[in-house]
Amino acid sequence: MSDRLAMYIDTSKCMACRGCQVACKQWNDRRGYVPGERETRNTGSYENPLSLDPETWTRITFHELDDGERFQWLFLKEGCMHCTHAACVEVCPTHALKYGPHGIVTYERDLCNGCGYCSQFCPFHVPKLEVINRLTGEAKSSKCVFCQDRTTNGLKPACVKTCPAGALDWGERDGMIAQAQSRVELLRSAQGFAQANVYGETQLGGLGRIYVLTAPPAAYGLPENPKYPVMAAVQKVLQPLGQVAFGGTVLAAITAWIIARRNVRMEEVE
Amino acid sequence: MSVRLRDRDSAIAIRWIPKYTTLERVLHWVHTAAFLPLALTGFAIFAPWLSDIAQGAAGTHIRLIHRVAAIIFGGVPVLYAILQPRRMWMNAKEFLSFGKYDLLWLKGAFPYYVLGRHGEMPPQPRFNTGERLTAVVLVLGTIVFGITGLTMWFLKGLMPAWLFQLMLFGHDIMFLITFIMFIIHFYLAVIHPMMWQSLVSMRFGVVSESYAREHHALWYYGEKRAKEMWEAHQAAHKDQT
Repeated sequence: MSDRLAMYIDTSKCMACRGCQVACKQWNDRRGYVPGERETRNTGSYENPLSLDPETWTRITFHELDDGERFQWLFLKEGCMHCTHAACVEVCPTHALKYGPHGIVTYERDLCNGCGYCSQFCPFHVPKLEVINRLTGEAKSSKCVFCQDRTTNGLKPACVKTCPAGALDWGERDGMIAQAQSRVELLRSAQGFAQANVYGETQLGGLGRIYVLTAPPAAYGLPENPKYPVMAAVQKVLQPLGQVAFGGTVLAAITAWIIARRNVRMEEVE
Repeated sequence: MSVRLRDRDSAIAIRWIPKYTTLERVLHWVHTAAFLPLALTGFAIFAPWLSDIAQGAAGTHIRLIHRVAAIIFGGVPVLYAILQPRRMWMNAKEFLSFGKYDLLWLKGAFPYYVLGRHGEMPPQPRFNTGERLTAVVLVLGTIVFGITGLTMWFLKGLMPAWLFQLMLFGHDIMFLITFIMFIIHFYLAVIHPMMWQSLVSMRFGVVSESYAREHHALWYYGEKRAKEMWEAHQAAHKDQT
């Protein structure tokens, strides 16, 4: 059995209180609403802020679904998926993003140089770049790290600890999958959610978030079948290829020079 | 321009022919001074084994140096176009005129530059095929680096992720091509024993008459005479064999 840990997220129990958002900010020292400095905006929905940002590593998204039979108000806890095949880790040139213990995609802010590749290659568009100065390029990436300081010390992430609805849980990934499957079974058989499903078990080699959804992933704004970006794979080929090409050219030049030295008669050179 | 070298009882007069203007030489070296830090800082981000030096504040400074060098690199052709537009236009036209002698150059390059066989090199204009290819790659590189670099710099997060990924790919591919071209250019222009005057010309702006005859016959003799000489040389070579 693997020692991989995962977060269980039961959207059928989530009541969108957003205690998780607050607990995340509190534990990870992220700013919320700061008058005059970090304003908030209401756009006619309860969703706030409008997207993940460097100060908001998790948030609840709101979706309305009317499939003709019933109306559902869907709440999804958004944040880093901690993919098994994480494009962000693969493209990070500084190893600020790493595969950490228990399958957590860890992030070390001190190592980040602000290139922002992670934010551009993530299939879920999760890492957000805190742009300090666009002209100089000074920036820092930012994302949920499953409270790596807590979870590597045997504690649950702050959001899980605070959830009053019991929608969140934390533990061995296999156990979380089993829990999600039995919950989906119950939702289908006893509560009339025929389209209930588990999300995260297989996507991108298996996610670190195991969702119980009561509607198809698309209804939550989740990609049905997220793809590892082709360009990230291309980069992995290009990097060794480029270095071999550079080395080969230098080697060829040295060889050509050695041969040319023997063949070129300097008295004939103009 | 001529330089007189005297020994005990004779005098050798070397006639020097101007090839580059002072501005062209200054800009060439400014371009080089911008290209090298650009390549090195870019390589630090590109090569995974150099991640240690690309990390944190050092990495941020590497990216800053890359940006500053990029502005200088892009500024060089702009400055050239402003200060000597006619020279630039003349050179651009020469860079883009490829013909049958270029194929022969490519064919003759190995025996000539590696095996030292002088007879196999067809007459060349003021810039030989290799120089012109380098220039074309450099112009293409400036355009591609400019577009991909500026969009990644200023539009990251504002353009679709797939477009950013494509820009990064274009930037990397162009880096590979230009850097390989740079290694070849450095070898032929600085290290190769037969091409010693190319470095002299980029320092003093001139090449000797004998060097121009040998390496740039089309420029030195004019097209008609250079062609006649080449054809006569070819015919004589054929007779011998």
